[in-house]
Amino acid sequence: MKSHLLTAFLLLFCLVQTGNGGVLFSSLPQTLVVTASIKQGQVLIAGEDSIILTWGLNQSFVGRTDESYKEVKVKLCYAPISQVDRKWRKTANDLSKDKTCQFIMVSKPFQKLDQTFKWSIEKEAPTATYFVRAYAYDSAGKEVAYGQNSDAKKSSNLFEVQGISGRHLSLDVASVCFSAFALVSLIGFFLVENSKKKRSTDN
Amino acid sequence: MEPPSRQPQTHFTIAVDSDHKATEFRLFSISSPHMRAFHLAWLSLFSCFFSTFSIPPLLPIIRQDLHLTDADIGSAGIASFAGSIFSRLTMGPVCDLLGPRIASASLSLLTAPVVLSTSLISTPQSFIFLRFLIGFSLANFVSSQFWMSSMFSGSVVGLANGVAAGWANVGSGLTQLVMPLVYSFIASLDVPSVTAWRVAFVLPATFQAVMAVMVLAFGQDLPDGKYKRSRITGSKDKDNFFEVLFHGLTNYRGWILGLTYGFCFGVELTTDNIISQYFYNRFNVNIQTAGAIAASFGVANCVSRPAGGMLSDKMGRRFGMRGRLWSLWMVQTVAGLLCVLLGRVNSLVGSVIVMCSFSLFVQAASGLTFGVVPFVSKRSLGVISGMTGSGGTVGAVVTQLLLFSGSNTFSTQTGISLMGLMMLICTLPLMFIYFPQWGGMFCHPSVQPDFCHGDYHMLP
Repeated sequence: MKSHLLTAFLLLFCLVQTGNGGVLFSSLPQTLVVTASIKQGQVLIAGEDSIILTWGLNQSFVGRTDESYKEVKVKLCYAPISQVDRKWRKTANDLSKDKTCQFIMVSKPFQKLDQTFKWSIEKEAPTATYFVRAYAYDSAGKEVAYGQNSDAKKSSNLFEVQGISGRHLSLDVASVCFSAFALVSLIGFFLVENSKKKRSTDN
Repeated sequence: MEPPSRQPQTHFTIAVDSDHKATEFRLFSISSPHMRAFHLAWLSLFSCFFSTFSIPPLLPIIRQDLHLTDADIGSAGIASFAGSIFSRLTMGPVCDLLGPRIASASLSLLTAPVVLSTSLISTPQSFIFLRFLIGFSLANFVSSQFWMSSMFSGSVVGLANGVAAGWANVGSGLTQLVMPLVYSFIASLDVPSVTAWRVAFVLPATFQAVMAVMVLAFGQDLPDGKYKRSRITGSKDKDNFFEVLFHGLTNYRGWILGLTYGFCFGVELTTDNIISQYFYNRFNVNIQTAGAIAASFGVANCVSRPAGGMLSDKMGRRFGMRGRLWSLWMVQTVAGLLCVLLGRVNSLVGSVIVMCSFSLFVQAASGLTFGVVPFVSKRSLGVISGMTGSGGTVGAVVTQLLLFSGSNTFSTQTGISLMGLMMLICTLPLMFIYFPQWGGMFCHPSVQPDFCHGDYHMLP
């Protein structure tokens, strides 16, 4: 019995392993140029407004590093102010653990010329402050370069998105009716019990 | 004129003692009022656990919609238990006054609308307040144990209590599996996710209300009918309520058991609150998978808590009170070690395996605790049960406040390991429990026992 327990614990300890790391953000060169058609501090409504994105290779890097770029993904990323006290949006240098950019806006094969895309803000986008970043991927799907519309400290060219509220009139009405039903049935039960008691004591 | 009062039933389909309490536990029968009460009690407590823990699995969506921070989520988790501390302490006297049937059904019917009003909230403050109010429903634990003690005699009351509490606790696990599925189903009907999560709460609210109505319609407080104030048959005199309260509160064993229960059941409650988000955040699984993993933690209750109760009875038969105390200490210590390990494991598969083992041991410890509680005091059983039960939620509040309240500098996995360490330390006071007639963990009894220790009726 004791040896079984010991083997079980040893087996469990063997399962403790460190995960493999991903690409480090600090190792990526900033060779892409990304712009978005927004003004600093602008508030956009989810499900209604849209942004025009433009991305391309920084001309001073043409021909030197871009042979490995196969695909570009432009992502919506949380600005530092929206990451405060929210561990599920934390920035990590290891890109496999990084949670800064959680929404892919557009994904296109890499071209040497600049590309544009009109992105409508999804209805599901939460209320937060954002910036735009593009990652270039090689044929193995690993990040090899990036570009963003904000500065290195992620403090300029930020914009806000106002998410939609999920409240619905029919839901509110249903809640009120349900509460009324619960209270009425409780009171009704007490009235029935009291009248039964009265009848049995009156007789 | 002869009052057409309800004639006490003299013929039951189950074996009963002189008080008409059942002496056997027939699981698949509902013909006798005893087993009907058992099924109503565990199902209505199940619905309360289902409602209270229906929010954590949907947090990844709720936190985006309500713009919550980690601090808000932590405060709400604490609030959900804080409400139940006071409600559990109050439920004992309320059951004394009104009977368990009315007490539990009223509580369920009053908190069910609160569950549905989850659909109305839009600010972090209202979220915290909502979880505080929903947490009140966990007081039904006290009423269900009170109801079982009224319906079942001493020889089976431990089993009845253990199975009722264990099966009801499954609600806290099943909800983590069901709520994400309900949410995905509603979202698949082209409802935007920010509305879909609100609609999902119709399920727990309706379930809770339906169970309350069934308790009122089909349940009865006592084998012979309605609850009467002077129900303490067999007790020598009508104890003064305040004397009973004082007698219970001054019994140091009640305080020690409250502390240790806080670090087995309390830890279980805290884990129910954080485990789904932990797997979602750390291992990048989707919301349904995180819910399924978290569910397996709570669902294990259906076997582990009754097993703890049965182990306590078995140890008690062989080794007396010493066996009960040692088995409680050992099982809870192993649970603490597994909790420390859970925070150190880095792989998904390893975490799931350790979490499942941890769930078995920590829930068995809860069952083992209530194998000792009935022996502390017969006169003040309700007060001791209330103190221990409240101690459970106090432990949940303390661990959640210290380790998982969002304002910490350390990660969730470090918090889990620290929680295990706290469990190991706070289980040690069991060594101080001493019964003059049965001894303690290290001491022999000082008074020669002149009755069988297992005879519940001879307790002081």
